[in-house]
Amino acid sequence: MSDLAVRDGRVPWRGRLGTESVPAAEAPDARRALQLGLAGIWLLDALLQYQQVMFTRAFGQMLAATAPGNPGVIARPITWDATLIEHHAVALNAVFATVQLLLGLGIAFRPLTRFALAASVAWSLAVWWLGEGLGGVLNGTANPATGAPGAVILYALLAVLLWPADRAGPAGAVPAGAVPDGTVPDGTAEAAPFTAARAVGARAARWLWLVLWLSLAWFALQPANRAPLALHDLTARLADGEPRWLAGIENGAAAVIGSHGLAVSIALAAACVIVAAGVWLPRPAARATLVLALLVAAAIWVVGEAFGMILAGGATDPNSGPLLVLLALAYWPAKQGQARAERAASC
Amino acid sequence: MLTPVWILDVLAGVMLAVAGVSAARLAGARPWRRGTVVTDTDVGHLLMAIAMAGMLAAGLRTLPGAAWVAIFGVLTCWFGYRVARDARASGVRALAGRHCTPHLVHSGAMVYMFLALPPLAAASAGMAGMGSAGPGLRYPSLAFVFALILAASTVWDLDQLSGRRYQLAPAAVTVGCRIIMSITMAFMLLIMI
Repeated sequence: MSDLAVRDGRVPWRGRLGTESVPAAEAPDARRALQLGLAGIWLLDALLQYQQVMFTRAFGQMLAATAPGNPGVIARPITWDATLIEHHAVALNAVFATVQLLLGLGIAFRPLTRFALAASVAWSLAVWWLGEGLGGVLNGTANPATGAPGAVILYALLAVLLWPADRAGPAGAVPAGAVPDGTVPDGTAEAAPFTAARAVGARAARWLWLVLWLSLAWFALQPANRAPLALHDLTARLADGEPRWLAGIENGAAAVIGSHGLAVSIALAAACVIVAAGVWLPRPAARATLVLALLVAAAIWVVGEAFGMILAGGATDPNSGPLLVLLALAYWPAKQGQARAERAASC
Repeated sequence: MLTPVWILDVLAGVMLAVAGVSAARLAGARPWRRGTVVTDTDVGHLLMAIAMAGMLAAGLRTLPGAAWVAIFGVLTCWFGYRVARDARASGVRALAGRHCTPHLVHSGAMVYMFLALPPLAAASAGMAGMGSAGPGLRYPSLAFVFALILAASTVWDLDQLSGRRYQLAPAAVTVGCRIIMSITMAFMLLIMI
């Protein structure tokens, strides 16, 4: 407690101004910290959904634009959904934004974390199809620089990897002293080598990481993305409507890329392949590839996505950059003993 | 088309409720008695909730923007002083668990909102007039930064509120009010962009 310089009865206000004493903060473990990161991104996503433009027909038109080029069975529901939203933009957008708000708050509120994570998977899959046209994966428009394979599918992937459960059994490197049934002599189950392995196991987590990053490499090399001026035009277009400093970054990047789109695409694809393989490497090498993943994610978010174009107004979400960062952190190798301690604490 | 007025009205109502809770807590502390302590967070919440209600619904406007800038400028200095003192006493890492850090951000965001709001919107319809005022917003990047911090603060507070930390503490009410304030403020900042 502290007092303001108001004392000795010389002024009418005889109270004192202080701060409530509060118990010490509980430090979350690595998985909980990542869950909170996911909750924060959902929250930001929800608040962006409340922007003015989302309550107009433009939102429905934005969704409808994801349908062309997709197979009929995928495109028809998107068109139907977009038309419905165009006709009931205010009510439906209010519902969408509120659902996303509740998902974010639910993940952060411990008793509801499981329910909210499960609901977020279902919601993300629905939005990936009806809102993002499967991220352009099937119509050749997917580009890792602009958020392929669709930011919302990364929410679902994170929800699965950060599910609050611990999978028993052999997972990754067997720690010193482990016995064949996957336990170590102190009686605890075998420690996961990284946070993402805790719920699904190290093998499944590594395969998910491999598929994600190899798909990014594949998309980077698609004809539309590797064209000489494709990346230049993309980054130059992003400058429109952005604050001067961000427009400067986009224009600067466009100038550097110039007509070397093919070389940049190959370099991006190579980086993605290295990152994809990184989680199978020994710990120091894995850390190096995860640092590379963080750099690629940051470059994608800043240069390719202009922070999700939030500063230009009308963004529906922060796009894939922050989610790729969270994913990379979820695969960061745990320190010796840390994973086992976290696991024991969460039991 | 702008943000539906009913959403702004609902949030203005929520702000009035927060103001009511804060006022009740302040009155409950009986500041007229000698030696009582008035929590600065309740004072901050009361003032912010009244100001934000006025920004969300023009009919609830109380003071001119310049007066609110002065008030929140003082609050920002106060919480800044408290944060600096806490940092000296307990280290920078300890600030994450203290009350003063989020209130410093709240106060700073309030100053920013009143200064960044274009004069036309500020003088007439408040947030309801922001749809057409987007291009006139000063330093939109700052709005984004504040919104990010407030979103992070919200999830951190919710996590702590639902854990063992606030099980018995009366500070849970303060944290609950703070979560509502953070969400509303982040909402306002993002629709201002």
